[in-house]
Amino acid sequence: MTSETARRRFTEQVLPHLDDAFSLARWLTGSATDAEDVVQDACLRALKALDGAPVERPRAWLLTITRNTAFSWLAKNRSHMLVLVGGPEEAKSHGSVFTSDPGATQEESLIANADRACVTAAIDDLPLAFKETLIMREINGLSYREISEATGAPIGTVMSRLARARALMIEKLGRPS
Amino acid sequence: MTASSERDDRTLLLHAMLDGELDAAGAVEAEHRLAADPQAQVEYARLQVLRTVIRTHTPRESAPEALRARLVAAASADEASPLRPTPTPARHMIDRPSWRMFASAIAATVVVSVGAQTLIRSALSPDDATRAVVAGYVRGQISEKPVDVASSDRHTVKPWLANKLPVAALIVDLSAEGFPLLGGRVDVVGGNPVPTLVYKHRQHLLTVTELRPSAVDYAMTPRHITLDGYSVVFWKDSAHGYVAVSDIAPAEFDAFIEIFRKAAAKEQDRQD
Repeated sequence: MTSETARRRFTEQVLPHLDDAFSLARWLTGSATDAEDVVQDACLRALKALDGAPVERPRAWLLTITRNTAFSWLAKNRSHMLVLVGGPEEAKSHGSVFTSDPGATQEESLIANADRACVTAAIDDLPLAFKETLIMREINGLSYREISEATGAPIGTVMSRLARARALMIEKLGRPS
Repeated sequence: MTASSERDDRTLLLHAMLDGELDAAGAVEAEHRLAADPQAQVEYARLQVLRTVIRTHTPRESAPEALRARLVAAASADEASPLRPTPTPARHMIDRPSWRMFASAIAATVVVSVGAQTLIRSALSPDDATRAVVAGYVRGQISEKPVDVASSDRHTVKPWLANKLPVAALIVDLSAEGFPLLGGRVDVVGGNPVPTLVYKHRQHLLTVTELRPSAVDYAMTPRHITLDGYSVVFWKDSAHGYVAVSDIAPAEFDAFIEIFRKAAAKEQDRQD
C-alpha cells in the first residue's frame, strides 16, 4: 500500500535524483537497457519504502538502493561480472604509482590528453568495488561517509578503494600507448 | 611505522584533501606537508588532472524519458498499478508496453482534478495551475504526441490555436536560437483551455504554457522549481502568465527562458 505521503515524497525527493541513479546503474551494469531495469526496480522499492519514516538524505538513500538493486541484478543475470575484491587485491598497498620525476610531467600530460574512449575503458576495467567507489565519488559526488553507508564498507576501506582506483586509472592513462 | 605504511597514509591524506574531506585543522596540516614534499606535489597535481579528465569525459547521464514518465505515472497512479515491485527486476517489465496504460490513468487524474476545481470556481493557486501544466507535459511525453498541431511555422500554429481558444496566443519562433518550434497544443488548466507551445532542443522537449495573468499569482521575475523531477519556471508579463516545463539541463533551460522572454516582449511590442 503506497500512501499519498509516500507518493508525494517520491516525486519531491526521489525523482529529482533519477539522473544520478541512472548514471550509477549505467556504470555498474555496463548497459543503458540494464540500467533502466535496475533503476525502475530501485525506484519502485524506494516508493514502497517511503511509507515509513521520512528519509534524511534522499540522494544518498536512492543511490544506496540503486547500488544494492544493481548488485542483486548482476548476481542474477551477470554473475561472471561479480568478481569479489578483497584478499590480495585489496591488501596491496594503496599504490601511489610513483615514477621518477622526469617522467612525471610527461605522464601528467598523457593523462590530461586521454580521450573519452580511454577514460571510459579505464573505468570499466576497474574491479567492481573500486569502480563503484570511484563513480559514487566523482560522478555522483557522494561524501566518504555516504559511500561508506551505501556500500557497507568502513570509511578506511572506502578511502583505500578510492586511492587504489585512482592509482589504477593513472597507471593506465599515464602509460604511453 | 614502516616506510610503506607511512607512504600509504600520505597517499590517503592527499586523496582526502582532493575530495574536500579534511576538516580545517587537517587541511592546514595537509597543506604544510604538501608544501614541504615535492614528490607529494607531483602526486597531487596528477590526481587533480585525473579528476578533471574523469569529470570531462564521464558526465552524469540523463535517465531515459520513458523511464521518468513511467515512474511519474507509478507515483500518481493508484493501488491498481500493474507497475509494482516484483521480487526480481525482469526485462518483461520494460518490453511490455504496459506503461501506456498509465497515459489514461494520468489523463483521468487531470480530468478529475480539473473537474473539482471548476466546481470550486475559485481562482487557482499558482501551485494547482503549475501542477496541471506539468501533468500536461508528462502526458505529452508518454503519449509520444506532444502537439495537436505539428508545424514549425507560427503562421500555421497561430490560426489553429485561434480557432480553439478565446484569445489569440503569443507565438514566437526560436529556431534561429537552437529551439525550433515543434507545434502547439491545447491544455486544460483549471477548466480553461490554454495554449501550449512545444519547442525542441536536441532530443528534449520544452513547453511554454500561456495562462491568463488574473488566474495566477506569478511574479514578473521568473521563478524556478522542480516538480515531478522536471524543471519548471513561471513568470508573468503585462499580458500573460507563463509556465515553462522541461527536462533539459538547468543552464540551457535558463538560456531558453531568456530567449523566449526577449522574443515575446518584441512580439508584444509589434502587436501593440
